[in-house]
Amino acid sequence: MATKKSKKSDDAPDSERPVKKSSDKKKTSDSKKSTGDKPTKAAGGGGKSGQPKTPIVDDGPEEELRLGPLGNKVMTIAGGIGVVGTGAAVGLGAMEGQWAHFFHSYLVAFFWVLTIGLGALWFVTLQHLTRSEWSPVVRRIAEVLGANIPLLAVMALVVVGPLLMGNHDLYKWADPAEVKHSLLLQKKSPYLNTTFFAARFVFYFGVWFIFSRLFLKRSVEQDSTGKPELTNNLWAVSAPGMILFALTVTFCSIDFVMSLAPEWFSTMFGVYVFAGCVVSFYSTMGLIVLWLQKNGRLSKSITVHHRHDIGKMMFAFVVFWAYIAFSQFMLIWYADIPEETVWFKPRLGEWLPVSAALLFLHFVVPFLGLLSKHVKRHRFGLGFWAVWLLVIHYVDLYWLIMPNFSPGKVPFSLMDICAWVGLAGLFLASSARTAMNLNLRPTRDPRLDKSLAFENI
Amino acid sequence: MSEKKQTKPASKEAPLYGLLAEYEKPKQLLAAAKKVRDAGFEQWDTYTPFPVHGIDPAMGIKPTILPWLVLGAGLTGATTALVLQWWTNAHDYAWIVSGKPFWSLPANIPVTFELTVLFSAITTLVGMLMLNKLPHPSSPLDFSERFARVTDDRFFVVIEARDPKFDEGDTKALLESTGAVAVEAVPEDTKTEGRMPSVLVYAIVILTCAAIVPFALSAYAREAKNRSPRIHIVPDMDNQQKFKSQRENDFFADNRAMREPVAGTVARGLLRTDEHLYEGKAGGTWARTFPPAIKADAATMQRGRTAFGINCVPCHGPTGQGNGLVNKRATELAEGTWVPPTNVTQPHLAKQPVGQLYGSIKNGIRNMPGYGHQMSSEDIWATVMYLRALQRGQNATLEDVPAAQRAGMK
Repeated sequence: MATKKSKKSDDAPDSERPVKKSSDKKKTSDSKKSTGDKPTKAAGGGGKSGQPKTPIVDDGPEEELRLGPLGNKVMTIAGGIGVVGTGAAVGLGAMEGQWAHFFHSYLVAFFWVLTIGLGALWFVTLQHLTRSEWSPVVRRIAEVLGANIPLLAVMALVVVGPLLMGNHDLYKWADPAEVKHSLLLQKKSPYLNTTFFAARFVFYFGVWFIFSRLFLKRSVEQDSTGKPELTNNLWAVSAPGMILFALTVTFCSIDFVMSLAPEWFSTMFGVYVFAGCVVSFYSTMGLIVLWLQKNGRLSKSITVHHRHDIGKMMFAFVVFWAYIAFSQFMLIWYADIPEETVWFKPRLGEWLPVSAALLFLHFVVPFLGLLSKHVKRHRFGLGFWAVWLLVIHYVDLYWLIMPNFSPGKVPFSLMDICAWVGLAGLFLASSARTAMNLNLRPTRDPRLDKSLAFENI
Repeated sequence: MSEKKQTKPASKEAPLYGLLAEYEKPKQLLAAAKKVRDAGFEQWDTYTPFPVHGIDPAMGIKPTILPWLVLGAGLTGATTALVLQWWTNAHDYAWIVSGKPFWSLPANIPVTFELTVLFSAITTLVGMLMLNKLPHPSSPLDFSERFARVTDDRFFVVIEARDPKFDEGDTKALLESTGAVAVEAVPEDTKTEGRMPSVLVYAIVILTCAAIVPFALSAYAREAKNRSPRIHIVPDMDNQQKFKSQRENDFFADNRAMREPVAGTVARGLLRTDEHLYEGKAGGTWARTFPPAIKADAATMQRGRTAFGINCVPCHGPTGQGNGLVNKRATELAEGTWVPPTNVTQPHLAKQPVGQLYGSIKNGIRNMPGYGHQMSSEDIWATVMYLRALQRGQNATLEDVPAAQRAGMK
């Protein structure tokens, strides 16, 4: 152990945790005594079926576990904004008569909410897969965000529907005239055709729906029955789930975004979009945690230690994003093959300021900003960088999608903002609707004790 | 542990190392640690079977400076990598790689990233060990039977006797007041030798010597001369199963590794069917006009002047009169075989068809080598155009000067 001591230091870090004070702790130990220490064992060696079936009693701190009237409020406001925003975007698109611009704006906004939802689904899968002990108190938030898959599927219909009806404003591989002139598109047509595209869309969202539904349903079921087998069951489900998730996210990003430039390809594209999923999801979860706590929900069970971990993951995936983005760029830059560099040509031409902004505002600045542990543990610091990353994640998607529509100039307009705010509002309202009738954290998860007592330093 | 006695039989008079207090629960240990901290002790520590949350503030341990060391190491690593790559590739031995600029930042990022991580990781590990004063092979506490349970289910506070505030009676009373299960006096270690075990010493000496060997061999190899063939450490990398250009290959009937292109193949840009443009001929005789692709304008003239300056001036001189620097030097050295270059402005050359001038430049004439392999057809035609201008200038009469300027010429 380290040996430097100072008389000045006080008990400040202790007082950060009002939860773990002696009275609560005593309750825990008492209840453990009465059940013969079984809860801990069940939590520790969850894998075996012969484990004791004693329901784990939630003896966590007393606090508001439900959204209550707040849920209705969020649903009304966010839903209103969502309907107005989406309507305004459609209206502006109709007024302009430029449906191609509208579809691209919409795709950016749609991918912004989709990546958050998929990030949430990934998070839940990962926590079950690793049997994580720190995260049960924040897992329900991710389960709720991930349960938006039906809404996201409906949103995707705005992209898939017109495509099936013969519109090719977004995807030029759907245009027979274009395909006729391009040998490459003819060769790719067994994959890039509208029927198969629609079939894949159904498959992706089907897989996500099944898993997100399963994770939320079983977790909620455990709140009432307290069966530890449910946790073990989800652990088993999460392994194939993770494999399917990796494949579906990769191919979904290839289909919806990469095929906007159908002659171009990058084997890193799926991972790039995945990095964005994780960054935006952790930022969203951080913001939701801060907002819930400000409104007196989960104010005791989620501590500075959990928020610190969320901040760490934001930081880690900012670096991961930069690593992937740079790897993709450097390989193409170094090889300098025209069919690969063509994608970067507009992005390093008229779009160069946006590319430079991504380098600095999606990596350098947040890297330095999130480096310190004091920032991650500070409410305002965490919230500030969460908002920052969510905004720059939008810019990132805009940079992926828009140059395909307008290589010559950045066509940022009111319509983009309307679509973004609109879909975000709908996403939030749908999340609030799901969360309204649920506890905001699991109450009888076998690893809840450890999560409540989690300490980082 | 500053001074330790050499091997001696254990005696009851061994000096006191410190006082050991035992606790059953982490919570009791935390409370005790706070008391000891508040009493102002400096030389003391706590020992637990597992990390106990909150022990750092309870003991009054300052936040570690390790993150700052790691930050410094990371920045040092990044700087080292960038300076290394700039120095080797852009400054000391500038070398074009893959047609990129000498100092090409994107290509330098992977090395920069790796060195940043390497320096940070090593500093984290070594810094953690050093700040914790590890490794710590022996302690007087190892001889306390009570202390053995620290690896199992007991928690301990040890206050060392060398602390200035230490007083056997008072300190013992303090520890007892913290609710310790037991307080025990631990004597100094009189059994362990105060020096490193000789096995370790030998191992370190041998490893150090062994570590020098590769460097010594490298240094020797730099100076020594040897007639035997080089040693192939990775033979299949040095002798690869492939045929290089211009080598023999028994596989093919003509025994050549390089293959001829398929008959009738024309490389991109080499289909030269335009006889006028590429050969300077029209219907088998020298063309008297410039090909249509060559425009008679200022741009072509400028291009011709540039090409003439690069290719012709060294021998023929700036005005084409055959008095270039090469000729001057050769004449000065009185080279017997030197044939002076032609004055290209002579009247009979001014009457030659442009196609013939083109042919002379492209294919060479008498002692002059052909320039077709190093000048494009367009450049040769531009040179011919500039040559025509020189010829006109050198054979001009007063009538060629605009009427307004003739007065000044006389």
